Amino acid sequence: MLFPTVQFAIFFPIVLALSWALMSRPALWKPFIVVASYVFYAAASPVFCLLLAGVTVWNYGAARLIHRSPDERARIWICRVAVAGNLLLLGVFKYYSWFAQGVARVLHSVSLGMPLPLLTIALPVGISFFTFQAISYTVDVKRGLIEPARLIDTTVYLSFFPHLVAGPIVRAREFLPQLASPRDPNRVAVSSGLMLIGMGVVKKVVIADYLGRTVVDPVFAVPRAYHTLDVVLAAYAYAAQIYCDFSGYTDIAIGLALLMGFVFPQNFHSPYRATGFRDFWRRWHMTLSRFLRDFVYIPLGGNRGSRLFTYRNLMITMLIGGLWHGAAWTFVLWGGYHGVGLVADHALGGRVRFPGWLRWVVTFNLVVLGWVMFRAGSLGVMWAFLSRLASPGATTLWTAPVLAAIVVAIGPQLLPERPVQALQDRIGRLSPIVLGPAVAVLILFVAATVPSQGVAPFIYFRF
Amino acid sequence: MPPNKTQHSEDNLMDRFDRAGLRRFRARDAIIAVAIGAAILILAAGGSIRRAGNGMRSGIGRDAVLAVGDPAGWLAGGLPVQHAAHVLTNWLSPNLNLNGFVGFTTTTATTAAAGSIPPVTPDAFNPSTIGAPAPARQPLHTLLVTGDSMSEPLDQDLAQALVPDGVKVDQDPHIGTGISSTILVDWGKLSAYQVRHDHPNAIVVFIGANDGYSMPGPGGRQVSCCSVEWATIYAQRVREMMNTYREAGAARVYWLTLPTPRDPARAKISLVVNAAIQVAAEPWRDQIRVIDTVPVFTPGNHYRDAMPVNGEPTIVRESDGIHLNDAGSEVAAKLVLGYIEKDFTR
Repeated sequence: MLFPTVQFAIFFPIVLALSWALMSRPALWKPFIVVASYVFYAAASPVFCLLLAGVTVWNYGAARLIHRSPDERARIWICRVAVAGNLLLLGVFKYYSWFAQGVARVLHSVSLGMPLPLLTIALPVGISFFTFQAISYTVDVKRGLIEPARLIDTTVYLSFFPHLVAGPIVRAREFLPQLASPRDPNRVAVSSGLMLIGMGVVKKVVIADYLGRTVVDPVFAVPRAYHTLDVVLAAYAYAAQIYCDFSGYTDIAIGLALLMGFVFPQNFHSPYRATGFRDFWRRWHMTLSRFLRDFVYIPLGGNRGSRLFTYRNLMITMLIGGLWHGAAWTFVLWGGYHGVGLVADHALGGRVRFPGWLRWVVTFNLVVLGWVMFRAGSLGVMWAFLSRLASPGATTLWTAPVLAAIVVAIGPQLLPERPVQALQDRIGRLSPIVLGPAVAVLILFVAATVPSQGVAPFIYFRF
Repeated sequence: MPPNKTQHSEDNLMDRFDRAGLRRFRARDAIIAVAIGAAILILAAGGSIRRAGNGMRSGIGRDAVLAVGDPAGWLAGGLPVQHAAHVLTNWLSPNLNLNGFVGFTTTTATTAAAGSIPPVTPDAFNPSTIGAPAPARQPLHTLLVTGDSMSEPLDQDLAQALVPDGVKVDQDPHIGTGISSTILVDWGKLSAYQVRHDHPNAIVVFIGANDGYSMPGPGGRQVSCCSVEWATIYAQRVREMMNTYREAGAARVYWLTLPTPRDPARAKISLVVNAAIQVAAEPWRDQIRVIDTVPVFTPGNHYRDAMPVNGEPTIVRESDGIHLNDAGSEVAAKLVLGYIEKDFTR
């Protein structure tokens, strides 16, 4: 089920009301929210509910075994097997076709037959997110950061619908404590939640989809049909689109959770304000950055070694981060590109001093260049796109609404944080009885901008 | 080590809604706010909820949406709020204004015409099939590639191949639409708009993945997929579109049949859709090329994920078992380009 759809607009008010009605009785609330979340997930594909349930039981069992085992070596092995199981599942569903096709190509080039069947496997929505959450749960139990949860709590944690299909990647130690006692019905950040939902819908439907339709999709489809200025515009438009698409989804997810009394970690913090690659990854998809840091980079050794060792770990981490986004060489290239950026950041850090504005200009434009790799879909399209950067000619896409959408998406991130925060706080203090109808009217106007074929799927749904 | 249940790492900002000055409300306020918002949406857009439900495939989801949409539509229709909201927001719509274009004919005859023989015209003969000389090839100026999601990324592949030769390629996919459903878009109207707007001298159509909806037959009675009667109405609609696209013989139409999908239920629909396309093209075989993808991708109507492409085993379908992936689309594009080469110079 997509958030900005009629189905969800019917689903959520019912679930919200029942959720608060049952909140004081966890024995009823927890099964209810599990059923609601599975209904939400089943709307995409009912059969994959079994997969989600399987992941839940697998990690619940592993965490229990780890907790019971007195032997550290056994705990390590149980944890490894559990993580391997999660990764195997992710690998089969997400990478099998890509891997099998690659193997077939190599074997064919040396006139050998293909030992693996060439199959396409449907990607379960959200698998990258809920398997990562499951891994974080099991590993955190192994590390002694949390106690193993009851099966019902593990199920609520992994299936809770606001974060189920595209994050944010909520760690068990952030979520499970919120299940320990019923949410306080007298302390709900209602207006903040409504504001986030309204903002998220505008970001996604008005800005991201509009830029995708009018600029990004046409140019990336046939870069050869466009010249320098249009291609440059498409690159910046995609930077704005992907930010509004993903942060819009996150805003809605966090807002929905707030209305239900839950808090999710922050996922974006003005990423285009970054003045370096390290800074960018502290602001962009923060929950993934934390995951990669805590479960890949640090276990690899982090920066506890020579400079070269640190660089190696950064590159491996970012290559994995790139591949997490999808089974395509362009994602690997994008991850490697950011890995090189992080290495350069580390290598230069503290040695060379550049003015802040210059660091911002360089970082922002390098990040935008990285998005070209991310969006291209194939290396051929990427080269075609980049080659058109040096092809002066007529412009066809530079219009006032397009420029306004890009400025509205990126501009506020560059403003001083305090006034923006103060404005958000002021809205957050408004009465929900005023804000609720205001958001509804906003949605009416936003809905009018949706084309007949409906809201485009969120970009991160396919990851 | 005892776990610390309340500890969060310092970079997750879990306490950002606890900072001083942020106001908290009661859960009841949340429910009331959402309820008022929902009421406003029902009053101002109840008809849209019903329309969304009608556009969905039959099932629990559709039933649930219509359970709200039907009374919401009725309520909104009886009050002036919906009209006022429409007037206020309509200018924002990105949809084409198809008012003034003629949609599909709804009074299709589905019984055999008694006592009359449909005339055969010279247009019904593809010159190549009777050994007649092919007409002189004309330069290709504008190609329209359209259809539902099946037409993506075929449209990109064709554009990438033809744009460098100076051909204007209009890509006009309409995702989620179908010929058998006019709720999202009426392809009868849309095809007329496309011809008037783009003036293409060649049109590539790849559509049918979403089809299978009931259509109104004689007397307005709903005809369900996939009877002969349904196929007849579908073929009539396809023929209307083909007639529009061929522009009285001035344009060439390349209509792709559907490669058999994986799901047997969908495969049955695609079989009927493909048969209807062939029947629809009969009067104008010299202008309309039906490009049969079945022998290429799914010989014998047997679904397969992979096939040899240039001798190399290659996955050609998306994981949904319906669409062609990039590699499959390239195969389809080569097929189409082969036909275009015979009719046009570049």
